Amino acid sequence: MAKFLEYVPGDSLLHRMSPAAKLVGAVLFAVACFVNSNLVFLLVMLVIALALAASCGLGRQTAGLCKAVLGFSVILAVVLVLTTPAGTPLVPLPWGYIGTGSLLAALTVIVRLMAAAIPLFLVFYVTRMSDITNAAVKQLHVPYKYAFTFTSTVHFIPVFMNDMAGIMEAQTARGVAFDGSLPKKIRLMVPLCVPLLVSSVRKTNSTAIAAEVRGFNLRTRESGYKDYPLAARDVAALGLCVALLGAAIALTALGA
Amino acid sequence: MIEIRDFSFRYREGREPAVRDVSLSIPDGCFVGVTGPAGSGKSTLTYAVNGIIPHCYPGDFYGAVTVDGLDTVEASLTDVSRLVGSVCQDIDSQMVNAVVEDEILYGLENFAVPRDEIPARVDEALSSMGIADLRDRTIDSLSGGQKQKVAVASVIALKPRVLVLDEPTAELDPASSVAVFELLARYAREHGTTVIVVEQKIALLSDYADLLVIVDDGAIRYAGAPDEVLAHSEELLALGVNCPRSTTLMNALARRGLYDGPAVRNVAQAAAACKEVLA
Repeated sequence: MAKFLEYVPGDSLLHRMSPAAKLVGAVLFAVACFVNSNLVFLLVMLVIALALAASCGLGRQTAGLCKAVLGFSVILAVVLVLTTPAGTPLVPLPWGYIGTGSLLAALTVIVRLMAAAIPLFLVFYVTRMSDITNAAVKQLHVPYKYAFTFTSTVHFIPVFMNDMAGIMEAQTARGVAFDGSLPKKIRLMVPLCVPLLVSSVRKTNSTAIAAEVRGFNLRTRESGYKDYPLAARDVAALGLCVALLGAAIALTALGA
Repeated sequence: MIEIRDFSFRYREGREPAVRDVSLSIPDGCFVGVTGPAGSGKSTLTYAVNGIIPHCYPGDFYGAVTVDGLDTVEASLTDVSRLVGSVCQDIDSQMVNAVVEDEILYGLENFAVPRDEIPARVDEALSSMGIADLRDRTIDSLSGGQKQKVAVASVIALKPRVLVLDEPTAELDPASSVAVFELLARYAREHGTTVIVVEQKIALLSDYADLLVIVDDGAIRYAGAPDEVLAHSEELLALGVNCPRSTTLMNALARRGLYDGPAVRNVAQAAAACKEVLA
């Protein structure tokens, strides 16, 4: 089973696209979702994003992502509902009211976040991390040190999670009961951050040395062995994303 | 190939030197095994050869360490790395990529190996370590032994003159440990590479090393051919280095005047020696 942000091999159109085109396309798509607040437009964007996920067989991963984004966006939606008195009043509040406009704004936030997040996450599921890094450095001129930092961060997430699980298991074996309420669990976990931090610093230092003794400091934009030429499909996909962004801007300008 | 002269080193945060007054000359193509008790200074000694000391761990460095005439203090770590390939103790931390092929490519790309040479280098490194079938596998899906071979392959792809490995079999079972040493020894023989291995398993080291170095309390106690060093099994035991039982047994027989041949390294050699004595 693929882990968080781990590449899922495949032969779909998205898998075969150039990493740089996927990355730029996903960013343009996300920007389009944020420049326009028309719920119908955002719903169309969400349908497109879900269709993209289905086209590369990542329905299960996308469902998991939607669940996570929903959890986060619901918090924002609740805040919006309670603080944005707009439209026909439905529920009076001491400081205003909840109206149809409030509910619409909340729904817009949820749909927007989901639509914007799906393509960005899909990029990581359909592209090897090294290809994203190399393409970002070679074609998008991102400094290698930043690209390496990002790759290492993603690389270390499961490593540190394993370390934390190991530390918790060791504590459990010595009688610490992590079962129970969330506040209690958090209170018990906070002291464990110290050994986790120590092992994390040690590991990152070892990785830095390992990279340095293999010529990290010599790396230039031209160093990457693999090339990622743009094919017709990449140009078409980028054109489509530009068109979506243009449509979003035009709709906003027209007040739709 | 490697000259260590009067080398002492004290880590910045340490009160005592981790290594003191070490002198050692390692000829080209030599397979060197370094062993000794935990905290004796074995790793520090190898860090001086691959330039990690003083470039990554600052401290007081005395004496001189040269690799093929290159002073590891005066040269940059990158320049030292062109000559010396290093495999760290913590293999998981050594991996900077998610896929085996990318891990092998990493150093080749950085050191700007000509593009037309790269495919052959990757193929050779993978086949030298017997892991050609792992090329497209993710690092996370590999066993400890496979990761170790990938780490070695990623370094030998750079064709270093010297290979330094810090406890390469620490997390491996006996069969995998022998397999890694077998591959290393064959590669070193075929390419004339000088190899320095820090290892706790003295029996394994003795089978493959041309030069066995015993380090204790920051100093070299014994250095020589494995047979010469293993002849001191009693003294080694006092230092905390356990020799193979067959070695200890034959050395005990030698002290009682019942055997006068060279120190043995394994049961087969001991059995042969006993047969010879009894014949």
